[in-house]
Amino acid sequence: MRRLTPQLSRRRFGQGLGASLALPPLPRAARAHDDPHVVIVRMSRFAFVPATVEIRPGDEVIWVNDDLVPHTATAREGDWETDTLEAGASGRIAFADRGTFAYVCAFHPHMTGTVAVRSG
Amino acid sequence: MKTPTLALAAAMAALGMAADAGQPMNDLQIAHTAYTAGGLDIRYAHLALAISENDAVRDFAQTMIRDHSAVNDAAGRLIAELNVTPEDNDLSRALVDGAAAKRAELMALTGNAFDCAYAANELGYHQIVNQTVAETFIPAVTVAPLKALLEDALVTFRAHEAHAERMVGGLECAG
Repeated sequence: MRRLTPQLSRRRFGQGLGASLALPPLPRAARAHDDPHVVIVRMSRFAFVPATVEIRPGDEVIWVNDDLVPHTATAREGDWETDTLEAGASGRIAFADRGTFAYVCAFHPHMTGTVAVRSG
Repeated sequence: MKTPTLALAAAMAALGMAADAGQPMNDLQIAHTAYTAGGLDIRYAHLALAISENDAVRDFAQTMIRDHSAVNDAAGRLIAELNVTPEDNDLSRALVDGAAAKRAELMALTGNAFDCAYAANELGYHQIVNQTVAETFIPAVTVAPLKALLEDALVTFRAHEAHAERMVGGLECAG
């Protein structure tokens, strides 16, 4: 069977996956601190902004699509991905484990980003 | 021999500034042409999905359908909001005629020959359309929301042009 987009497992880190969220006004933090934290990454002009975020285990990343067309945030290793995020939509993933996770947009693979999950 | 893509380029150059006898295109004509160009690329993409077995070509085609549909949906919402009717014009008609000729050419091909021809056409098509949108349409448009939409759309179309360039580079095509 032909594939239209990379076939990915649906295992996700944590339990915070969602799409089309109504976003509360959250800070544009790039680094988490003491409590579980949320970091926002904009999908803007076919780029992830910021391209790299650093968080702690348990923190969440929310991707917000500012472009006209759908995007995803999809792990290169196939471990996690957001749903397809239409214009204006957002998706959330919680990262439980430490590591450095490279990701792309499944539809526009030149869009690349990294989530670094570190302790301390 | 002049290919349909080259013919399209000539039509865009000749008509981009003058949809009717020396008159610059108005907002409604520009909206119509931009919408038409997106729709035509969706048709090319459906043809690619019907013929091509190449994953890169098929992925590109899926992206064209997804993205151009999203842009045209946004255009449709704006048109409804502004309560206007886009105007058909010589440039839109030239695009439609050129695309029909190109589709006929593509439909006669299979395998790698199709993939190469489709990929080359996508690159050429986006180059021509992007140049026209950037240099002719956006400067000429007077309604702010339409200008903003065209500017956002151009970001998308330029990403497609770069994607098409990579697709062409990844194929083994003669010449």
